[in-house]
Amino acid sequence: MNPTRSILIVTLTLGVTLGLTACQRGDGQITTLNARIPAAPPGAGVMAGYLDLRNGTQQALRCDAVSGPDFGAAEIHRTVVEDGQSRMLREQIVEAVPGAIVSLAPGGLHLMLFRPQRELRAGDQTVLTLRCGDTAVSATFQIQDLH
Amino acid sequence: MKTVIIPFSRRLPGTPPELFVTNVTAKSSPSKTIAFAFAGALALIGGILAATWFNTPATTRVASGTLLQQPRVLPPLSLIDENGQPFDVDQLKNRWTLIFPGFTYCPDICPTTLALLKNVQGQLGPKAEKLQVALFSVDPERDTPERLKEYVHYFSPSFRGVTTPEPNLKAVAQALGVAYAKVPGATPETYTMDHSAALILINPRGELAGYFTGPLQAPALVADLQQLL
Repeated sequence: MNPTRSILIVTLTLGVTLGLTACQRGDGQITTLNARIPAAPPGAGVMAGYLDLRNGTQQALRCDAVSGPDFGAAEIHRTVVEDGQSRMLREQIVEAVPGAIVSLAPGGLHLMLFRPQRELRAGDQTVLTLRCGDTAVSATFQIQDLH
Repeated sequence: MKTVIIPFSRRLPGTPPELFVTNVTAKSSPSKTIAFAFAGALALIGGILAATWFNTPATTRVASGTLLQQPRVLPPLSLIDENGQPFDVDQLKNRWTLIFPGFTYCPDICPTTLALLKNVQGQLGPKAEKLQVALFSVDPERDTPERLKEYVHYFSPSFRGVTTPEPNLKAVAQALGVAYAKVPGATPETYTMDHSAALILINPRGELAGYFTGPLQAPALVADLQQLL
């Protein structure tokens, strides 16, 4: 193996290792990923918001409220299917231990967004803010085509 | 050869119970022999039929759920469709129908399921014409025909939306095997509805043919429907 290639491989390995270590330790940030709201049929009184919430801090994260200027009200819900029954629970809490990523996804935890104040079409954006104790976590949600 | 049972009174002292039944040779006429053979054959056939009947399960598993061995005849439904027109068992005939119990104020699992059904419909190709999809709203309080029409047509112009006010809602839900319950929310208008998650399959005779149970996956549903349609 030529020396240049060896140096390149060692550098890359070191870089990846250091990167992974930084991820495991956490970067002290709460980050949001993949924040999205499926477009709803015209006149829909309620929509659902989904995102991945990453707790990069050393403290447990507990969010218990959500709000946004484009919705009359918002809550944190969880869909569960038990004994063949689909139920929507007003969970009102999203928790993430240090280093964890919590996914709000269809068929599970989601943001229940009541009374859209304007028509939100695929391609539009809207901001929602999660209240997590003293911390406010805001994310820009993309309105996505359901199909 | 003839089998006889020795009466209890003729049991010899010390005879073990298994010797109660024994074979003895006796003379009999040919017609009697034929009659006995015929009766025996009949009994054998009857036994086999009975065993088959009792061993037949009430349902058959398919990839996405369960089919009833004996489809269930539905009573009159007296539903209202998305155009405000009567929708009854006649509207279920001459095609297969998938009924999805839900409501339009359900932003999570209901649109996800209807989008999945739209996807399934697309994958069925020409056979899709033999399949009708209907949202059966368990929330007639908010789901007017106009609202149902807007909602289901957003997914596909061929989707139907049906409902009925109480107390008929309860009767129809019972006939379809659907359970539902109203759950209060923070404000009167934010209540939600618990409802059965399974899709109901209706055959072209308008009979309840089975249930597709979750978690619903498009490929498995398509494979099942390709066989049925």
